[in-house]
Parts: sequence; C-alpha cells; structure tokens
Amino acid sequence: MLNKLKFAGAVAVLTGLALPAMAKDHVIGALFPLSGPNAVYGDVFMAGSDLAVEHINADGMLSGPMSIAYEDSQGLPQPAVVGMTKLVNVTGVPYTLSAFTGVSKAISTLGQRNHVVAVNGGGVGPDLAALGEYFWNVIPLVNLEVRAVVPYLTGEMGLKRMVLVYIDDPFGQAIQSELGSAFEGTDAELVEVLSVPVTAQQFSGVAAKVRSAKPDVVYIASYGAQQLQIVKQLRDNGVDAQIVSYSGYITPDALALPQSEGIVVTGQAVDYASDDPVTKRFVTDFKAKFDKDPTAYNVNYYNATLLYGLLAHALEQEGKDVTGENLLAKRLEMKTFDLVGGTVSFQDNGTLLSPIEVKQIKDGKTVTLSTVQIGG
Amino acid sequence: MLAIQLAITGLQTGALYALTAVGFSLIFGSTRIFHFAHGASFVIAAYFFYATFGAGWGVIPAILASAFGAVAFGLLLDRLVYVPIQRHEGSFFTVFVASFGVGIAVQNVIGMIFGRGYVTVNTSLSRSVEMFPDVYVSPLAWIAILCAAIFLGGLQFFLRRTHTGMALRALADNPELVRTFGLNPRAIQAAAFAIGSVIVVPAAIITSATTGLSPAIGHHVMLISLAATIVGGIGSISGTMLAGVLLGLAESLALLIVDSQWTEAVTFAILFAFIIIRPSGLLGRATAH
Repeated sequence: MLNKLKFAGAVAVLTGLALPAMAKDHVIGALFPLSGPNAVYGDVFMAGSDLAVEHINADGMLSGPMSIAYEDSQGLPQPAVVGMTKLVNVTGVPYTLSAFTGVSKAISTLGQRNHVVAVNGGGVGPDLAALGEYFWNVIPLVNLEVRAVVPYLTGEMGLKRMVLVYIDDPFGQAIQSELGSAFEGTDAELVEVLSVPVTAQQFSGVAAKVRSAKPDVVYIASYGAQQLQIVKQLRDNGVDAQIVSYSGYITPDALALPQSEGIVVTGQAVDYASDDPVTKRFVTDFKAKFDKDPTAYNVNYYNATLLYGLLAHALEQEGKDVTGENLLAKRLEMKTFDLVGGTVSFQDNGTLLSPIEVKQIKDGKTVTLSTVQIGG
Repeated sequence: MLAIQLAITGLQTGALYALTAVGFSLIFGSTRIFHFAHGASFVIAAYFFYATFGAGWGVIPAILASAFGAVAFGLLLDRLVYVPIQRHEGSFFTVFVASFGVGIAVQNVIGMIFGRGYVTVNTSLSRSVEMFPDVYVSPLAWIAILCAAIFLGGLQFFLRRTHTGMALRALADNPELVRTFGLNPRAIQAAAFAIGSVIVVPAAIITSATTGLSPAIGHHVMLISLAATIVGGIGSISGTMLAGVLLGLAESLALLIVDSQWTEAVTFAILFAFIIIRPSGLLGRATAH
C-alpha cells in the first residue's frame, strides 16, 4: 500500500512538473531525406530550418523553446508515411515540414485528416498545389519553372529539338506533362522522352539513345545523386547538347561537378541583397554559421519554420491554442508575412508566388541570365 | 549503330557487374555466409580510392589503399562479427541480420566522413571517343573489360591450381572433410573474405570514375551481386561471371526493345525466369534435399 502511495505521489509530482513545461514547448515535425541517395538535400534543408529555430528562440518569439522533431523520409513515400504517422500520433505536432513531391503527396492525406499543417519547401510537382487546405508550399512549383525556361531556350538560345530524361515518379511525370504542353504552338519539339527508374544508376545506354535523337537541348528531370549520374554519364558518353534542369539541380555537389559547367537551371528569384531586416539577418547569420552563401532551399525551409513562429506567436498573443486548425485560420487571417526575400502572400491554393530566374552554372556558381515574372 | 553502341556499353556494364558479383559469390558459395555487407566492401574500396587519389597519392598507391581498405574490412568483419556468431551456432538469419546492420552502419559512417552527397573521381579516361560513326567508347570501358578478364581468369586459376583455392572449393562442399585433412576452416574462410573483398576493388574504382559514388550505392551493388549469383548458379564462380556479363548486356540491349524505364526490370525478369525455370542457375549443380 505504501509503495502504491509512493508511486502515485511520484506520478503526481512528475505530471505536475512536466505538464506546464510541455504546454509551453513548441515542437514541429520535419520529414527530410536524412539517409540514402537524396540525403544531401536533408543537410541543405536542415541548415535553413535550424537557423530559423535559433532565431525564433533567441528572440523569445514564443512562450517556450521551439524545436524540430526530424524524421528520415529518405525522399521516399513509404518511410515518409511512417514518419508522419509518428509525428502526428506520438509526437503530436500541429505543423510539419515536408519535401519531395512523392513524399508530400503521400503524407498530405494524414495531415488533412488530422488537421496537421504540412509545409513544403523542396518538392516542386505541380500537383502539390492541390493537396488540400492543410498543405502549403513556400516554393514556386515546377510548372512555373518550365513555363519560364522553355521560351528562353527556344527564343534566346534558339534550341528547337529537346530530349527529356525524367525519373519515373510523380515529380518526373509532372515535368513530362508540363513540357508536353509548353511546346504547343511553338516551332520547337520534344523529339524523345526517356524515363528512368528511381533506383537506376547506369545511364550509358540512355546516353546512346539521347545521342541518336540528335537533340539541341536535353532536359534532366531527376533529383539527388541520380541527376548527377545522368549528367556525368551523358557528357562522358558523347552528349554535347545543352543540358537544362530545374531548381532541384542547384545543390552543392551538383555545382562542384565539372560536367555541370554550362548547364541552364531555373529557380525562384530571391533578392539576397534586400535591405529588409529579416533577409539581412538571415543572410548575415547563414554566412557566419556555414561559411557559404545561402541557396533557395535554405531560404525556403527558413521561411517555412519562421512562418510557424509568426503564426504561433500571433495565436499565443490572443491566448489561443497552437493547433493545426488555428494555424490555418491565422494564416488565412494574416494574409501577408515578412519572410526572407520580402513581404509575401499565399495564393488561394496555399502556394507562394515568386519570380523565376533562368540561370547558368559557371565555375561552380549560378549566373542569372533572365528573370521571369510569374502572374498569380 | 545503336545496337553496336548498346552492346559495347552492355559489355562494360556486364564486366563491372561480374567483378562485383564474383566476390559475393565466392564468399557465399564457400562459407554459406550471406555477406550482405559486400556492398559496404565496395563502398569502402571506392571511397578509399576517391580519398587517396584526391589527396594526390597517385594511381598505384590509391589502388593499394583501396585494396587495403576492402580487405581489412572483410577480414575484420569475418573475425569480429561472423566468427563469433558462428561460434555460438548463429543461424543463417542471424548472420544475415548482422551483415545487413554492418552495411547500414558503414553507409552512415562513410556519409559522416565524406558527406552524403554525390562524388566522383575526375579523369579523362571516362570521356568517350568516337571510334566509328555514332559509336562512342571510353578508355575506361576497355579497362573494365580487361580487368574483368584478368581478375576473373586469375581467380579461376587460383581456385583450380593452388592449395588455398582447392581448399576454398572443398570448404564449399564439405567443411568437416576439410577439418579431417588437417586444414583450418576458419583460416580458409578468412581467405575467402580477403579474396572476395579484393576482387571488388577494380569495379569500385572504375565505378567511382564512371557512375560516381554516394554512400548509399552499396544497396544497388548487393542487388546486382545477388541477382548474378542466383542466375549464375549458387556456388559457381564461372556461372556468376557469365551471369554478370549477361545481366549487363541484357540491361543495355533491352533499350532496343523496351522503354528505358524497364531496363532494370529486365534484370529481375531474368532472375525470376531462372528461379522458376532453372533454379540451379546457368552453371550451378542441381541438388537434392
């Protein structure tokens, strides 16, 4: 009996001590590729999200310390659903960061059903704009990138014969669909379309098929280590045509690859030289912490994390609980947010708009060729 | 011309598959250890070469460093993981799980040391030159084929003409009989790991320059090794060599018939076909249980 009383007392004390602390802690989730061939993206995404957490905590923006519970999605839908289930049912997060088109589509139903906000800053499949009110994108989707780059390739560069090499998953299929329609009404054509399995690593045979189509330009729509393997093996196997890719190509290992020289890529435009305090602080602290310039992915996950801080802060000021429903309601109410790159607003479908830059890789860096304004 | 190009490309890929798979086949065939960490041996060999060559060691010292890394890993794994498990009558499944775990651990350690991104060894040898109109071949393709011929021929000679080689074959057939003849099965097992690990080195080095590397590449290596071992016939080194080349050729030539997304599926279609039609593999011996 005495032991039971001691146990009950201990539980009561621990519960009493723990509950107020838990109520103040802010834990959000993140489903990033932390292992496997796409793990390099996880490092890039975390650099942005971790810096935002540091800033939010340093500013005392929230009633308690904020942290991120990272789950390894490997960039694949199945592990991502396992991770999301844990975040929703065990960790109990109201808000999670997502990346990759397949992953985002897979976890969005869990978010929608459980009223947990999922914010994507890395996946660019156009379908991501239609995953429900609890799924938001802080990155312009790839249909906008395709619409920006095709006129530049066919007009400014005079390239008329394109071959598409795309990964056989929802993201690659979205690019194929978008490119198919982007060429309609132009004198350019898609002369060959080659899809590759997600796990493929040998592309010398694909290079032979590309060469035989005699293209002016080759569009690579893949990600992670595979897209670099494709580029290297195309170049090594005699494909000298202009190569073009999307924002997912702009990673540190891609920029370091000698075969990347001259590749045209697209990506969201971010004014790193902006005078607004949020951008200045981000750029300064990022360079100080990582000793390199930030990329758009760093910005996106900084913004996605900071967005939670702004919304949760506003809810706490009003004495409301920080739940998925309230975060969504507050986002719809606030409309505009001061994030890195300036003041932004979401479209009705929960996606941020941003101008698209057409860039070229030169000496391991990207040089802007053109900036295309995108209408809402 | 496309068919010729794809055939040459397939030969290069097949040579690398054969070199990769034979090491696994030798170890599995002679010791019955499902050495899933063979992919990790490949990764270690490749990254040792990448690191040392990149540090300016020169080709030969870098190759030796790569071989040292792979052999040391194989021997240590045998000594520190497999032998203790076997000593406690560990089941086939226990050994497999241990090996699988080591493979994942190596992947993460390599990622921590070298980063988790894509790296490649830059050499002009990987750049193809036009031999005939529309037929491009890189010097590394010839090196891969030559290496496969030398290493695999050398392995056959070793297994048939040397005492250690014959002991390895005997170990596969009857470990008790090996002990009866006064030989030490543990020492022969260690030799299997040393040879099986070193034979993966040329494929790892050539892959580092052609396909490039990431810490996760070991899983693909294991898939190919397993497929070639089964198609070739478990325990048959010659069969595994032949199967490696066959799978490489099939994967490449399939582009003439099917869409590019199905080329990997061709490998596994062949695997399933053999499992159903000829379970003993190309050159394996049918066994009764």
